[in-house]
Amino acid sequence: MADMGDKAREEFFSEAHEIIEGLSRDLLQLDSTRGKGPVDPELVNNIFRAVHTLKGLAGLFGATRMSALSHELENVLDDLRLGKIELTQSALDLLFRGVTIYGRILAVEKGTRTDALTDIDQFLRELAELSEAQSDEAPISGAFYELDPGLLAVLTEYEEHRLRTNIEQGQSLFRLRVRFELATIDGALSSLKTKAKPHGEIITYLPTGEGAEADSIELDILMASKASLEVLRSLLGGEQTQIEEVPRRSRAAKDPVLVQSRPGSHGPPEPTGFGSVHPPTLPPRPKAVAQRPGALPKGAASSAVAEVSLRSVTQTVRVDIRKLDLLMNIVGELSIVRNAIGRLTESVRKSPELREIGMELYRLHRGFERQLADLQSGILEVRMVPLGQLFDKLARVVRQISREADKDVNLVITGAETEVDKLIVEELSDPLMHMIRNAIDHAIEARIERERVGKPAVGTIALNAFQKASHVVIEVEDDGKGIDETKLVSAAVKRGLLAQEEVTELVHREVLNLVFIPGLSTKSDVGELSGRGVGMDVVKTNIGKLGGIIDIYSERGIGTKFTVTLPITLAIISALIVQVEGRTFAVPLASVQEAIWLDPAALRRVEGQEMMTLRGATLPLCRINELFSLTSPGKPKARPYAVVVSVGARRLGLVVDELIGQQDIVIKPLGPSLKKVKGFAGATELGDQRVALVLDAPALIEELFLGGADAAVGSGFG
Amino acid sequence: MKLRGPRVEYLAFRLGADTYAVPIGEIREILKLPPVTEVPRAPVDIVGVVSVRGLLVTVMSLRARLRLTAGDPSRKGRILLAMGAHEEVIGLYVDEVLQVYRLAESEIEVAATVLGGRLGDYIVGIGRPEGALLRLLDLRPILGRTDPAARDAT
Repeated sequence: MADMGDKAREEFFSEAHEIIEGLSRDLLQLDSTRGKGPVDPELVNNIFRAVHTLKGLAGLFGATRMSALSHELENVLDDLRLGKIELTQSALDLLFRGVTIYGRILAVEKGTRTDALTDIDQFLRELAELSEAQSDEAPISGAFYELDPGLLAVLTEYEEHRLRTNIEQGQSLFRLRVRFELATIDGALSSLKTKAKPHGEIITYLPTGEGAEADSIELDILMASKASLEVLRSLLGGEQTQIEEVPRRSRAAKDPVLVQSRPGSHGPPEPTGFGSVHPPTLPPRPKAVAQRPGALPKGAASSAVAEVSLRSVTQTVRVDIRKLDLLMNIVGELSIVRNAIGRLTESVRKSPELREIGMELYRLHRGFERQLADLQSGILEVRMVPLGQLFDKLARVVRQISREADKDVNLVITGAETEVDKLIVEELSDPLMHMIRNAIDHAIEARIERERVGKPAVGTIALNAFQKASHVVIEVEDDGKGIDETKLVSAAVKRGLLAQEEVTELVHREVLNLVFIPGLSTKSDVGELSGRGVGMDVVKTNIGKLGGIIDIYSERGIGTKFTVTLPITLAIISALIVQVEGRTFAVPLASVQEAIWLDPAALRRVEGQEMMTLRGATLPLCRINELFSLTSPGKPKARPYAVVVSVGARRLGLVVDELIGQQDIVIKPLGPSLKKVKGFAGATELGDQRVALVLDAPALIEELFLGGADAAVGSGFG
Repeated sequence: MKLRGPRVEYLAFRLGADTYAVPIGEIREILKLPPVTEVPRAPVDIVGVVSVRGLLVTVMSLRARLRLTAGDPSRKGRILLAMGAHEEVIGLYVDEVLQVYRLAESEIEVAATVLGGRLGDYIVGIGRPEGALLRLLDLRPILGRTDPAARDAT
């Protein structure tokens, strides 16, 4: 029982999250189109529906704060779509704040965050004030149309509002009679809507309830459009579709009503087939159709209409990522079986009397191998989500922060369709948010300053994503003031993070990488000096945890670019398999630069640290056997290797006995009882049931450079 | 002697020269010794990690955990899978699995009267079925679990 509850709650959270994300996307679009012509009513409707759904969900799960918030938002949105209040900047701000508060409420409900949420009541009051400020709709002016009272009687308040708005905008009205097959009405109706959308707005549709055959239904559609009848006919017309323009009543009419059922004496010639010709046939409500037995199969019309609005078009399934992990595990096991069969096949093929069976086995094995690879990539594909989801969130952050900082910032996004493993996307959101906040707060100059140096007043932050081999690259680039290297270096020296004599040895890249040093970058005053770099060490650590690397490029006065390179998936990575004292380790290739033979002549020792010179640069070395106190009875290796790993601009040579080869591995995290053990990213199975530990190159680099002293631990238990 | 109370099944195993036992409901599986990969820098009582059908399991030497004298792994060595803290499956290395005993409440001497010290926290009683001497272990403190006693739950 408790399980069911948990599962349902999980569903609730993921569904709510999804809706809120969509909501935020629509709001952003609304924001970008605001002030550029009429507001897209469909967009406002989407937002209204999203909030309405959230309200329903919240009610179901007893999330009262969320219900209350949804309720107030719904009121505001309803007024918006009915044109009772205007979409002002401040109204939009309130809606955006609503999205943020939704997020906080969810986090609190989920228990991942404690937040008294004390400001919600205030927010709800502001919402209520906004919807009270509504104006009464102006009396109708403009053209009058010959419309059936039957149709008018059934228009909802919203439809009436849309009709009025369209008339005010000088659109013409058209009525379409379209016959739909009951079996395909969903798709056909939505494709008609899509076709009609660029040319106008469908205000309402009702079943005509006449001439219907058992398997079809005729809808009477009222549409507003600027296009001419001929254009619409050529666009939408067809065997099943008839289109007529609704005649305008003469402006001379004195009766100030929107429409009139019968054309007056001033009216144009009565059209055939539509408008006022069939007033009695338009039932006031779909219900009325059901009252006409015989015209249609029982309830068919009403249910078809109901389905139009109820049935969702999505074909997607929400899946808990852990279930995919489980499937991935099974694939991992299967590949072990595959390897075993491979070995068996080889030995069978070698024996002359079994040669034929061996060949057959070989073919089967090859087929198995291929299909297993397909299965694996299929599961990986399911885990992939487009970065666009994350970028939408960031767009909201940019909007909010730039308003707070009173700077005009334009966010330019490219490559939102680039896909990355779901887990990576989750872990990426904080680091990226941090970088963007830094860019707005510290890098982008104030408006006046920008104008003074001849830059456009509006700053630009570019967020670019693209795939590069088995990696995804995300760039965060600004056109701000860039990093002042001199100040950065002197701050580092002042804080004792850098010796004065080391300064001259630093190359451009190394200087910039100082922003990632903890002691330096967490100090906000330095952040201001350098133009960037508040908490960049945290950003780097988080990205390192994902097996990614971060690089920085900056030019004074021109801007700064951070480049984050990430593996596409955490589930499977390429690794270099090495051996040290008879033990096997895997090193993720993402952090490996190269592997070189260790030339004893090139070795030297500086203050106890072993180094070598590699192509003119100094490479610190770390002997894995010493680091992990590994010994074996065998004789010392004559030709050890150094595996050069790097994080950002820091490099380290891991000294190993042997290079075994490259292999795709599935990394599994070490259990909680080993979580204090540093230096390993997890373990992986290499076949034969053998488990190899995966070296955590970023952690080792950090340990060696920054003296992570607490690497060795005591008992993990009680 | 009259046997009273519900009977609980205990799995008896050997650590060094002595016999220990845990309620069999605590043990999910008994494994023959797979190749264990040692983990450098791990706590002393951790033997290493093994893969159990794709699941990575940390193996703890029960002997080291109870601060008993060390001994070489034998061919009869087995790994008992039990639930540790944080829902982590832990492998417990024992020198040999012996047999299952059904013990009634009345056959168990409460250990507090028998033993003191650190071992006293782990040993909840002594069972003496059929002339054997079983030191009955409470796995909860051993594995750092905080759930209520499972001893009577079978």
